[in-house]
Amino acid sequence: MREVAIIGVGAHPTGRFLEKPLKELAYPAIWNALDDAGVTAADVNVAYFGNSLAGLLTGQEGIRGQVVLQHAGITGIPIINVENACASAMTALRGAWLEIASGAADVALAVGAEKMNIGDSARTIGALSADSELDLSEMGMQFTATYAIHPKINVKARMQEYGWTAADLAKPAAKNSYNGSLNPLAQHRRPLTIEEIVQSRLIADPLTLLMCSSISDGAAAAVLCAADLAPRFTSHTPIKIASCVLQSGVYRLPDDERPDSATASAFAAYEKAGIGPDDLDAIELHDAMAPAELILYERLGLCALGEGPRLIDEHVTTLDGRMPVNPSGGLCSRGHPVGATGLLQICELIWQMRGQAGPRQIEPRPKVTLAQNQGGLLLGQDSAAYGVTILKC
Amino acid sequence: MRVKILNPGNLRIPTEPVATPCLLGNRCRECGTVVFPKMPICPSCRRKTDMEEIELGRTGKLYSHTIAYVAPKGFTAPYFQAFVDLPEGPRIFSLIGCQCLVERGVLEDGMEMRLIVEPVAETPERGDELTYKYVPAHHNGGSGR
Repeated sequence: MREVAIIGVGAHPTGRFLEKPLKELAYPAIWNALDDAGVTAADVNVAYFGNSLAGLLTGQEGIRGQVVLQHAGITGIPIINVENACASAMTALRGAWLEIASGAADVALAVGAEKMNIGDSARTIGALSADSELDLSEMGMQFTATYAIHPKINVKARMQEYGWTAADLAKPAAKNSYNGSLNPLAQHRRPLTIEEIVQSRLIADPLTLLMCSSISDGAAAAVLCAADLAPRFTSHTPIKIASCVLQSGVYRLPDDERPDSATASAFAAYEKAGIGPDDLDAIELHDAMAPAELILYERLGLCALGEGPRLIDEHVTTLDGRMPVNPSGGLCSRGHPVGATGLLQICELIWQMRGQAGPRQIEPRPKVTLAQNQGGLLLGQDSAAYGVTILKC
Repeated sequence: MRVKILNPGNLRIPTEPVATPCLLGNRCRECGTVVFPKMPICPSCRRKTDMEEIELGRTGKLYSHTIAYVAPKGFTAPYFQAFVDLPEGPRIFSLIGCQCLVERGVLEDGMEMRLIVEPVAETPERGDELTYKYVPAHHNGGSGR
């Protein structure tokens, strides 16, 4: 396998862009990434396009990537459409990485784009439900509620077993809203207090509105190339993909003793990269509902069971901490245009590693970082897709 | 009103009034793993074994629950969301029968539950479609329609 570098990234701001179709969201992200990498459209050998909801929300069910990429001038190459719910973009990145690692291509483009604001939020919520196995959504499963009670990420159980309070659940949202307030691309840029997060209206007990990511439009792209070719295109600090892992969920019975799938995928990525959780300088993780961040600390091996709130109290994962988590603002503040999120995470880590993150720059500049992205829900009680990418410079 | 059943293969609704409704799942004849809904390949063995159809889930134990204050189209908020542990093995997602008052304190994790059959939701979109739900075992009424 060849070493692979990310030489360019780009993003469209995240938010509500009612008037913009998907291709108008994706095009600036793609060209920001190409310009950033110093490559032309003709240099791109292959492209992976991640999106989750365009079929149901816009009617463009087939050939989404070809439609979007033709608009951006990327034509005449293999274009592969990938859909993996909220992990679609990380799945696109993995495809692009494999193309280069295998030697099939020298320069690859990974794109994630999502248009969720269509002027009918009930339809958007319905489409999001379709990212669960149909048996669950037909029965009335509400996605937010699963974060409160689902066996794999049972926030209520943590409250009972470890004494987490409503204020503890609000801590990641408060921390990330501060980070997002420093991010010009973020959807929500007002720093929130723990009190207002706790007191915002209940969505699914104990999760409140300000603990939940909102409906969001956005796009992100990354240009990858064989690491030894990187100097040909760019003078940027070369940032290599140390590992890129994708796992589907497993069928779980209540007495299942295997590690949680978020844990299994993270530790597979650590092993392939030859590092451990203590080596990480910055992390972007999948806090679709902010309290999930506390549980993902455990899953990624950052702390023991139940200790998540302490990592924020002790400023370990804050922007000024040893291991900042979600410096971009995370899914709740930066935004969660579902099929773009994994690449938005990658954009943030690349900017941080290059020292281009402006007022939210982590010091010293991170050298080893991790992005964790997951999506979908299966009857077998796991998410459908778990993606983890480790970057090194 | 024409009544249909959501995923009819998952559910046995008895014709005799004395019998109780139940779920239909599979048990692997080799390792004993019980799954619901049915699967052709045992998720524990992950090879071709004999998966026999079994009845299950007449009762269960509440594993976790919450009240959702936002509902997808066809459902009315607030409504309960729950996971129920079946004595046969599986832990399944279920809504709670509509005769349960949707308030904090009505349900308690660990409580004994029993299966009922009722419309998916009391809404024009889903009111003519039957499915299974659970209610506390001591709750009166709501036996299979």
